Amino acid sequence: MRLNRSRRHPGDAASAARTRRRTGILAAVGALVAAVAVGSTAGAQAATSEGLLCQTDPQQTFSLTARTGYVSTPDGNSIYMWGYGMSSGQFQLPGPVLCVTSGQPVTVILHNDLPEATSILFPGQKAVKANGNPAQPQLDTGGSLTSMVQPAGASGGSVTYTFTAGSPGTYLYSSGTDVTKQQQMGLYGALVVRPAGAAGQVNARPDSAFNPQHEYVFLLSEIDPEVHLAVERSQPVDWGAYNARYYLINGRSMPDTLAPNNASWLPSQPYGALVHIKPYDAASNPLPAVIRYLNAGRGNYPFHPHGSDERVVNKDGHALQGTSATAPQDLSYLKYDIDVMPGQTVDALMDWRDVEHWDATSNPIPTQLPVITDQLLVGADTWFSESPYLGTKGTYPSNITVNNECGEYYHVAHSHALQQATNYGAAFGGMMTVFRIDPPAGCPTS
Amino acid sequence: MTDESRSDAARRTAGSGLGRRAVMLGGAGAVGSVFLGTRLSFGQQAARPTVVQAAATGPAKSVHLAGTDGWVSMPAGSPDDLPFFPDSLAPSPFDTYVFGFRDVTGMSATQVAATRGKAQISAPMLAFDELDEVTITLSNLGLVMRPDLFDGHTLHWHGFVNAIPLFDGVPELSLAVPIGRDLSYFYRPRDAGTYMYHCHFEDVEHVQMGMTGMVFVRPKQNKTPLAGHPIGTKYAYNDGDGSTRYDREFAFMITELWSAAHYRDAHIQVSDWTDYAPSFWLLNGRGYPDTIAPGGNPTSAAAGRLQYQPISSLITCNVNETVLLRMSNLGYQNHALTLDNVDMQVIAKDASLLRGRDGYTNYLETNTVDVGPGESRDVLVTPHQPGEYLLYDRNYAYLGNGGGPGWGGMMTVLRVGAPGTYGPQTQPNT
Repeated sequence: MRLNRSRRHPGDAASAARTRRRTGILAAVGALVAAVAVGSTAGAQAATSEGLLCQTDPQQTFSLTARTGYVSTPDGNSIYMWGYGMSSGQFQLPGPVLCVTSGQPVTVILHNDLPEATSILFPGQKAVKANGNPAQPQLDTGGSLTSMVQPAGASGGSVTYTFTAGSPGTYLYSSGTDVTKQQQMGLYGALVVRPAGAAGQVNARPDSAFNPQHEYVFLLSEIDPEVHLAVERSQPVDWGAYNARYYLINGRSMPDTLAPNNASWLPSQPYGALVHIKPYDAASNPLPAVIRYLNAGRGNYPFHPHGSDERVVNKDGHALQGTSATAPQDLSYLKYDIDVMPGQTVDALMDWRDVEHWDATSNPIPTQLPVITDQLLVGADTWFSESPYLGTKGTYPSNITVNNECGEYYHVAHSHALQQATNYGAAFGGMMTVFRIDPPAGCPTS
Repeated sequence: MTDESRSDAARRTAGSGLGRRAVMLGGAGAVGSVFLGTRLSFGQQAARPTVVQAAATGPAKSVHLAGTDGWVSMPAGSPDDLPFFPDSLAPSPFDTYVFGFRDVTGMSATQVAATRGKAQISAPMLAFDELDEVTITLSNLGLVMRPDLFDGHTLHWHGFVNAIPLFDGVPELSLAVPIGRDLSYFYRPRDAGTYMYHCHFEDVEHVQMGMTGMVFVRPKQNKTPLAGHPIGTKYAYNDGDGSTRYDREFAFMITELWSAAHYRDAHIQVSDWTDYAPSFWLLNGRGYPDTIAPGGNPTSAAAGRLQYQPISSLITCNVNETVLLRMSNLGYQNHALTLDNVDMQVIAKDASLLRGRDGYTNYLETNTVDVGPGESRDVLVTPHQPGEYLLYDRNYAYLGNGGGPGWGGMMTVLRVGAPGTYGPQTQPNT
């Protein structure tokens, strides 16, 4: 039964908004429009339309501001949030992806525009200092914990955190103050630590090498809109009634996850989650993509990529290896479902291999693609190529919008706690994105 | 992502005619006879209720599945949860509306049509050998209770590596099977291990409604046992060292069942899936104590209220035998399965042997195995004392049936007999 709210009410405003958004996605994905850097990423590396947008700085010094703002959801909702953004930019969700080099000093200056104190915890980093003093839990005069780390005071306060970037990998940074509320409100981001002298590896092991053109962060989180409404209205939050309705990758839900980085219609949600690769080839495309998973939510997110296993090589900023001093044993493993726990990070290498080499003339599939009238295509648009063969497009019914550009393959990737793969209960949404696999020669530029 | 060594080996084998023939010859061995054995006619199907073992000749195997709706029974004595449970529309002796698959391999069109409205949970258990050429035809028989719906069905072989979208079963990225039509999916599994399959049409609904089943792939090492091992030795993986050898295997489809959602589907209402709050916790579609009832057959009324839940979860073995437990979770919650008195060795997760690219083995010894939604585990146990041992979800909230008193939910029994108590296993879960 179709439960997609916007589709069940084709005349309402949410549907109209969704249609506009879909159209935008189609244009952006189909034409591979190079995104233009805007606002919050003004200081970033050259902006690309897909993949990881790193925030870098020669001194590894970042000035962040905690602000209020709004994000939009695919069903037309608008949610009040708190988030870290570049001080030179604007509110964004999630916070900027800070990319640094292991062993080098890092400075993060936090300015606080929120109506209450806030802070940043850097779990996994050692000897963190706040304003030059060791980062410590904060207690009130009665001995009760007020913050897990020195905060920036409400409405204009600031605090400076310094540390030496730890072992290579991915780390979640998030508020250490009133954490249940402030993390739910959106105060989180990703910190990527690269091995010194080996930026194309996840960690110091050569077998963690990846293709730098295909690096992705999947920061997973969730939203209970009732909490956000209460905070926006300065009303008490009923945490006993907590029930998340939206599940996010990089602050967006499917299908917004497919939109390019810095999509103009998602002004405060700058990061896409479309994975875009070509088939593995030993000569021309030997290196895998890397996906860095982070969980900024309250429960496990069992993330299931279709079409390919992923090799888990790093967890919580540490290589999966044994203790041999001379040749540390390889403790990495392949998974078809990455069950990411709260606060955990998992770095996984992925590729897709054309093992069957189906070809319409030399190696046809042994089954039949049904004629159009015997197919059920779901929804008003499709990513299907109407062909089994990579790089071939078939014939479509006239009443469907075609998102497929040149016969490329699409595989979905989503939380397998399937209620999380919905937008407020409507299927094919939520914590979900798509892996796009182009023909070896790529799609002809259109 | 594919293991370099095993994919290269697979490609070499698949790419040459000689390799193909070798597989076929290997299939004539003792192990092969279990799975490549006789193709049974419809009338004989009663003899193999839980596992589809298709096709007679060589590595080409055909399975025919039908997708439809039906009625099943939660454990006797489960308390009322009106109006959701028991469902007022349920025909006796059933209480819960489901969607599900049926094995209709070898049936005539008339016989296939007769399974409409007679879905089973868990779905038929599928087992293949590596490099089998598997064709699974899915027929959509429609929903007896919901003539207003035009839901499609699909087959998603969850975890199948390097799939092409046409055979991956995601309707938004390929296509679904409309009511009254069928579609054939092709698979050539290259990697041994424990997988699962489910419908991906409106997946949050169709998976919860019961369109979930086990599929596993046997290693080619079975066809050429290691030195010193007799023909017929069974391995879970191509381990090269015999470390995944086992005597018996039992597979468990782990799911939860939310009565309210099933009721709403029968009564033309919709669920907000983010309100997910399951009422029953199931192994192979049954809650304890039904889990330990014998396996049945959906074509026979002999099992009464469990007719359409034909797969038993009772584990039996002789002392000192090694038992392979295949666990796949298609519920929406994490589960942690504890076995009392017998250690468990986790040898694989998600159909991948716990072995690094350098060959370093990293099996895990434990008494509790965690399985997240969409994950699988392969676990070896070797009981050394006869007796009865409980296998159960260590989250005690999941050891009840619909909130009622007493024991229930996600629990089963490992029954260990003295040597010779149980003859050779011919089917999983028997």
